[in-house]
Amino acid sequence: MNLQLITLEVVVTLIGATILLGSLWLPADKRRHLPLVAAAALVVLLIAHCFAMGVDTTTTLHGFGGGIVQDGFAICLKRLFLASAAFVLAMSAPFVERLRAGPGEFCALILFALVGMLFAASANDFVMLFVSVELITVTFYVLTSFQRHETRSLEAGAKYLILGGVATGLMVFGISLIFAGSGTMSLREISKLDPLPNLMLFNAGLLLVVAGLGFKIAIVPFQLWAPDVYQGSPTPVTAFLAVGSKIAGFALLMRLLRHTSRPETGFLLDALAALAAFSMIYGSLCAIWQRQLKRLMAYIGISSAGYLLIGVIAMAKGFDGTKAILFYLAAYLFAAMATFTVIGLISKEGEDERSEILNGLHKRSPGLALTLTLSIVSLAGIPPLAGFFGKFLLLQLLLEMAVNNAAYYWLLGIALACIVASLAFFFGIIRAVYWPSDVALSRATAPAAPIPTSLPLKISLAICVTGIILLGLQPDVFLDLIQETVRAFRWQ
Amino acid sequence: MKSVGLEHYLIVCALLFCLGLLGVIIQRNLIVMYMGLELMLNAANLALVACSHFLNKLDGQILVFFVITVAAAEVAVGLALIVAICRRKQSTDVADLNSLKL
Repeated sequence: MNLQLITLEVVVTLIGATILLGSLWLPADKRRHLPLVAAAALVVLLIAHCFAMGVDTTTTLHGFGGGIVQDGFAICLKRLFLASAAFVLAMSAPFVERLRAGPGEFCALILFALVGMLFAASANDFVMLFVSVELITVTFYVLTSFQRHETRSLEAGAKYLILGGVATGLMVFGISLIFAGSGTMSLREISKLDPLPNLMLFNAGLLLVVAGLGFKIAIVPFQLWAPDVYQGSPTPVTAFLAVGSKIAGFALLMRLLRHTSRPETGFLLDALAALAAFSMIYGSLCAIWQRQLKRLMAYIGISSAGYLLIGVIAMAKGFDGTKAILFYLAAYLFAAMATFTVIGLISKEGEDERSEILNGLHKRSPGLALTLTLSIVSLAGIPPLAGFFGKFLLLQLLLEMAVNNAAYYWLLGIALACIVASLAFFFGIIRAVYWPSDVALSRATAPAAPIPTSLPLKISLAICVTGIILLGLQPDVFLDLIQETVRAFRWQ
Repeated sequence: MKSVGLEHYLIVCALLFCLGLLGVIIQRNLIVMYMGLELMLNAANLALVACSHFLNKLDGQILVFFVITVAAAEVAVGLALIVAICRRKQSTDVADLNSLKL
């Protein structure tokens, strides 16, 4: 047992428990500051983890019977999760009045979901994989339906509950078949087994587990829940679902595929390449006509999952996709967090977040309008911002794969076409922000007053914008930083 | 006479699992769908225990404990959610969950 490997998880759990107890003792009017306290604690933890805790990124450590692994890749992912949870808590601060239920419970649940994500980053056997996924999913059942007084929040919760439950069922049954086919639960031992005792059972199980994880990352054909759940959930929860839960799913999928990748399971990677193509096409096409902002983010998330899947396939095939994937994830994190923060700020309680609420935003709050524009530009993959460079790195990886297998040129063509198609939703948003039609303006009931933005939110938006711009203009700085952490990284 | 082997257990588990999945897909009542989900999880549990027995490894049984615990947590959260929906809509039919549209 090596407790050092789970320091972060233990500390975050303690913060969550403290917040939960603190909300019992605090007077009601003080409780609304709890999200900011939690966010500040996470920022301190993140800085300490980066500079002070003496985390050794050059060695791979195993603990808890091989269930937990700590390597450069897991460390990078954990930092992304901490950052995303801090952004989410910061944007929940002005949101707590709309929740009508305890802000303490809300923060604690976000922190417990974060613990699940941190475990997911270093899960190295099927027991840890299952427990971390479920810790995330069960807390999200509560979080999605947290606004119990709103029908749409309850509906989002019910849809996530049923489809998440199906995903859990598929995953557990898949794990049992993998266990029957290989005789072990450890990913490391599976990667060393040659030949597998029962290949057919193993392949069937692997297919089911990938399907279960497919729900979490919302790839076609497991994406059906995403638009509805994204629309109905409270906005900070949607942001956490879109960023944290998705990255956790990818972390698990990458480790799973890397360790199980062998010639006999090659069919799975080909199937995933097809799913990546479908996800990109589906996401970009549906985004074109979508005028509900949170649904739009769901479709952007689906196509992003398609691009990321390319990187995952490349990694499973043995290419070095670590940097490309981490870069894309960081770019997606900043842009998505900024977008959701702005959406949360400008939508009023109980209002459906249609793009009409953006009408004339540049006159009301030029700063928010600029932030939204930059993040949408980055999400659409237009140079020179972060999202463009992330997609560029992934497509470069695809080009390397295509040298050996010409079929990947098709995937490359589809990816390029989808990037062009995603320009359409970008123009829709920009038009609503800067040049709303007169008809839309006259119908708008929103007052033209500037939108009040608290200082912590201004700081978090400023960090997002800086991230988007820096990652786009100076990608080398960030890539070197990742390189430094994953330098000695080997899959083990 | 042939004794009962791992494959027999796995066939029963697969059947149970498909029944559960079918229940989730064709039923229209949230509570009955939830029963289908539980059936899926229990089919997986049975498979894990059977594998553990025939492979002489305890790993599967350990996971079963986790699955049972998680299923209990899931039921607690899920039924609370279904009760909240039922109070608001006076119905547990999924056809009534229709406010989230384009």
